[in-house]
Amino acid sequence: MRNALTGVERAMFWTLAFAAFAAAAAGLAARGVDRVAASYEAARSNYAIVRVLAPEGPAGIAAAEVALAQAIQVTSAAPMTAGRAAALLGGEVRAEDLPALRLIEIELAAAPAHVDVSGDLVAALAQGGVTAEVIEAPDDSAGAGLASRVRNAAFWGAIGFALVMGIIVSLAARGLAARRREMVTVMCDLGATQGQAAGRIADEAAVMGLYAGVVGGVLAGIAGFIVLMLAIPGVSLDALAGMILPVDLTPIAAAPLGAAIAAGAGARAAASYFHAQAARLG
Amino acid sequence: MVRVNTPEQDLFERGILARLSGVDAGYKTATVLFGIDFEARAGEVALITGPAAAGKTTFMHLLRLALQPRSGRCVILGTDVGRASARARANVKKRIGYVAENPTFIENWTAFDNIAMPLRLAGQKPRDDSDDVRELVEFVGLTDAADLTVEKLSGAERHRAAIARALAAKPALILADDPTAGMSPADGRRIVRLLAEMRRVGAGVVIASQDESLADSAPLNHWRMERGRLSPISQAATEEAEAFE
Repeated sequence: MRNALTGVERAMFWTLAFAAFAAAAAGLAARGVDRVAASYEAARSNYAIVRVLAPEGPAGIAAAEVALAQAIQVTSAAPMTAGRAAALLGGEVRAEDLPALRLIEIELAAAPAHVDVSGDLVAALAQGGVTAEVIEAPDDSAGAGLASRVRNAAFWGAIGFALVMGIIVSLAARGLAARRREMVTVMCDLGATQGQAAGRIADEAAVMGLYAGVVGGVLAGIAGFIVLMLAIPGVSLDALAGMILPVDLTPIAAAPLGAAIAAGAGARAAASYFHAQAARLG
Repeated sequence: MVRVNTPEQDLFERGILARLSGVDAGYKTATVLFGIDFEARAGEVALITGPAAAGKTTFMHLLRLALQPRSGRCVILGTDVGRASARARANVKKRIGYVAENPTFIENWTAFDNIAMPLRLAGQKPRDDSDDVRELVEFVGLTDAADLTVEKLSGAERHRAAIARALAAKPALILADDPTAGMSPADGRRIVRLLAEMRRVGAGVVIASQDESLADSAPLNHWRMERGRLSPISQAATEEAEAFE
C-alpha cells in the first residue's frame, strides 16, 4: 500500500477484516461442531451391551468377562451394576427394585464397516462356554445418522457462509476500485492495457484483503480460544493447546487467502469495467 | 526471413505519424466529425483552431484512439486503428503523449510521481528515471511545485505537469487539447513554443485551441475546424521542412 490507509480505505479495511473474521469464526464453529459430532458418533458406535444367556448367575458373568478380556475387538468391559442401570434409566426405577442383571457394558475398538463385530464377539463368547447376545446401538433409533447429517450441515453451512462473506469482500473491493477510478483513467490514457490497469488495482486490493484476512483470522482464533476456555471450565492452557489439531486451524489460515482472492477478483472486475469505459468514448 | 512492412508501417517509416482519410466520428447517435482528411508528420507541428463545439476535442479523441472512426480510414503510428486489436491499440497509445483540456491526475500523488507514471508503466524503476523526470520538470518550469500533490497545483501548473507527463515516455506523437486554456497570452505562447520544441527531437505535435493568434508562435501547419469539418489554412511547417530538404 502506497500510503498509510486513510478515511474510506481504513473503513474498507475493517469491512474486509470483519468479513474475514465472520467467515473464519463460522469455520471454527463448524469445525467444533464437526469434532463434537464425530466424538458422539464414535462413542455411540463403540458402545455395546453383552447380555449373558447361559450359564446363569455370577458364573456366567465371570466366564463372559474372561472371554471378553481376550477378544481383540473389546477395549474395556464392566458388568452393569443395579446402580448404573438405574442411573441409565434416569431414576425412574430404584436400584434395589431391579433384579440381578446379566449385562456387561463393553467399549469396542474401531473396526472397518464390513466387519461383523457382534458376530465375532458372540463366537468368542461361545468359545469361552458362554451363550450371549451383543446389543449394539440400533441404526433406526433417533441418533442413527444424525452425527453425519450434523457434520455435513456444519461443513456446507460454513462453506456457504464463507462464500457470502467472499461476495461482501468482493463488493467492498469494488468500492476500492471506484476510489482508484482516476488512476485507471490515467493509466488508460497513458496506454496501459486493461490487464495492466486492472492488475495494479487488483494487486492493491488483494494486499489489503490479505492483511485484513490476517487480522480477521487472528481475531477469530482469539475469540474461539476464549469460547473454549468458557465452555470447558477449569481447562488449562496446556490441555487446550493439546486438544487443538492442526486441521482445526484451517479456517484461520484460509481467511487471509480467501479475503485476498475475493478482494482481488472484485477490484479487478470493477477496474476492468472502468478501463473499458475510459478506453472507448463513442 | 525478410519481414515485409504493411502499407501502414510504410507510412510511419516515411514520417507520416497520422493519416486520416474521409473519417466520420462521433458519440452514440451523434456524428460530430465529417469527412476528415488530415495528416501529421514527424518533426512538424499542426495547430487546429476553431470555435467552441466545433469538434476539436472529438478530433483529439480520435487521434488518441479514444474514439473509433465510423467510416473512412485512420492510420496512426503505422496502425490502422479501425481494425487493430485492443493490444495493438494500447501499444499505439503508449507512443502518444496526450495533454487533455482538463488533465486527469492521481490527485494525491505528487506532480513528480504523476509525471513519472508513463515511465513506471513502461517498467522503469524509480531510481532509473528520476533524472529524466527532473529534467522534464525543469523543462516545463515546474521545479518549485514538483513535490506538491497535484491537488495543490494551480490550473497553469496542472497543464505544465500534464505536458511533462505527456513528454515523459518520449512519444512519437504529442496531442495537446487547448493547453493554453486559462493562461495569460504570454504563458500560452510559451507553452506552445515548449510543445513545438518537441519537433526538434522528431516528434509530431498536434495542438487544438480556440486561440487563432497561436499560429504565430512557431512555424506550424494551421488547420481550421468548423462544424465538424477540417480544412487547411497554411502549411508553413511542411513548406519549411521541404525547403530544408
